[in-house]
Amino acid sequence: MTTPIDNPETVSGIEAPAGMNRRRFLAVSGMAAGAGIALVACGGDDATSTADTTAAGGTSTPAPSTTAATGGGGGDLAIAMGAAGLEVLAVNTYTAGLEAANAGDLGEVPPAVAEFATTAKAQHQAALDAWNTVLTDAGEQAVTMPPADLEETVNQQFSQVTDIPGLAMLANTLEMTAAQTYLDAQAVLEAPEARTLAGSIQVVDQQHSAILNYVLGEYPVPEVFQSTDLSILEN
Amino acid sequence: MSVDERALQELVVESEDLHADAMRDARAVQPDLAELGASRQGRSPDLDRLQQYDTDRRRILRNGGFGLSTLAARGLLGTAFGAAVLNILGRPVAAQGADVDVQILQTASSLEVLAVATYDAALGLPFIRNGNAVVKEFAMTTMDQHDQHRQAFQSQTEALGGQAQNEPNPPNQQVVDDALPTLMNPLDVANLAATLEEVATDTYLANLALLEDPDVRSLMGSVMGVECQHLATLRAVIALLEADAADLIAIPPMIGQYPAAAGSVAFPQPFEEPNLAEPPESGAIA
Repeated sequence: MTTPIDNPETVSGIEAPAGMNRRRFLAVSGMAAGAGIALVACGGDDATSTADTTAAGGTSTPAPSTTAATGGGGGDLAIAMGAAGLEVLAVNTYTAGLEAANAGDLGEVPPAVAEFATTAKAQHQAALDAWNTVLTDAGEQAVTMPPADLEETVNQQFSQVTDIPGLAMLANTLEMTAAQTYLDAQAVLEAPEARTLAGSIQVVDQQHSAILNYVLGEYPVPEVFQSTDLSILEN
Repeated sequence: MSVDERALQELVVESEDLHADAMRDARAVQPDLAELGASRQGRSPDLDRLQQYDTDRRRILRNGGFGLSTLAARGLLGTAFGAAVLNILGRPVAAQGADVDVQILQTASSLEVLAVATYDAALGLPFIRNGNAVVKEFAMTTMDQHDQHRQAFQSQTEALGGQAQNEPNPPNQQVVDDALPTLMNPLDVANLAATLEEVATDTYLANLALLEDPDVRSLMGSVMGVECQHLATLRAVIALLEADAADLIAIPPMIGQYPAAAGSVAFPQPFEEPNLAEPPESGAIA
């Protein structure tokens, strides 16, 4: 039986781009993603958290800038690159949050919250690994850094987090941004297996968001139809 | 039990506002769908599309199923997830000449019809009707959300030239029929509801790989993103009920009193696995 590894041409089901003939991936422009992040109202004005979201990042390969994505990573692969960048940011943010919690910067941390952050971080790491395998199988470099502009925005927000609710709000915005981006991608992803992967991660990110809504005292299922307002895809 | 019912009601109203916005967006794509539907009316089956459908599926199967070497490399394709995806993709086209997108929408409608009926039946049970206020409010709101999903799926079925499905999904109707007489407490109800939510989530996830029309895919993904939150909420509720901690089911929550496991029970895996997915023809009109 032919295995996926035996057929590099379609190893991930996502073929190498033959040029930009479909909607382009915006990566993370300040306007789209920053607008979502700007909705976050963090705990307080005192910048007591010392970790930042770069702390757990990789070393060399950044998420695609708008230029890079449109120039050389069209189609499904461009979306995979953007998705990987979002996952790096999520992993780094949860890592920084856990470090801040362990350092006592966020006050008392309920066991369920620590468990949530640990599990969500691991699941975002799995999602990152999945997208990076798609990319490397297609001959692209793995993404190990978050998009610089979004990272800067998140770091700025993170520096104002002083308590668990503040961290939960920031995390929820990241979860919604990721989930809504994955949903938005359904209209443009061509490979069925890429749509399935995006959908399977969208589900989990939406579930993270539901629990974060509840933790924040909000109704866990606030929408009748999931929106794409926070998507970082170019419309 | 600690419940701020006024706050809860405000949250539900807020949710309804969000719903109104979402429906406006859904209506915005309706003309496009109607146009697409009109273009399909009276047209012979799109053999090219059926061929493409089968070609895509065969390609995926040839490459190891699902095509996700990512998951294969991590051994996930050898799991129930991989088997489930292979099973979905390995199914034959239900009926040559049938519009797969319409079949999928009819089946989705049938699942929503069943969900509405099941939550309605649950709300008639005394231990739900007179029980935990948050659980009751959740059941009422969720029933309404499923009804909106039903309407959206039926509307899009008709926009594509198909017949709206008003009947419940046969295989899962049987599951509900078997379960209803055995429901003795909120935990029983939550488990049944969670099963239906997981069936819906998994079915819609599987549909994403099969649907041709981007607008229908967007709707399917949008509804999936809500059903999976119902499922997550129910998993948390089930965990608390099983721990004999029904008093902790409250809004605002008493987070400090929750066991650590409550932080992860709602999302047991990093990738949703479409294990309970219904095939496109499951609730389609013959």
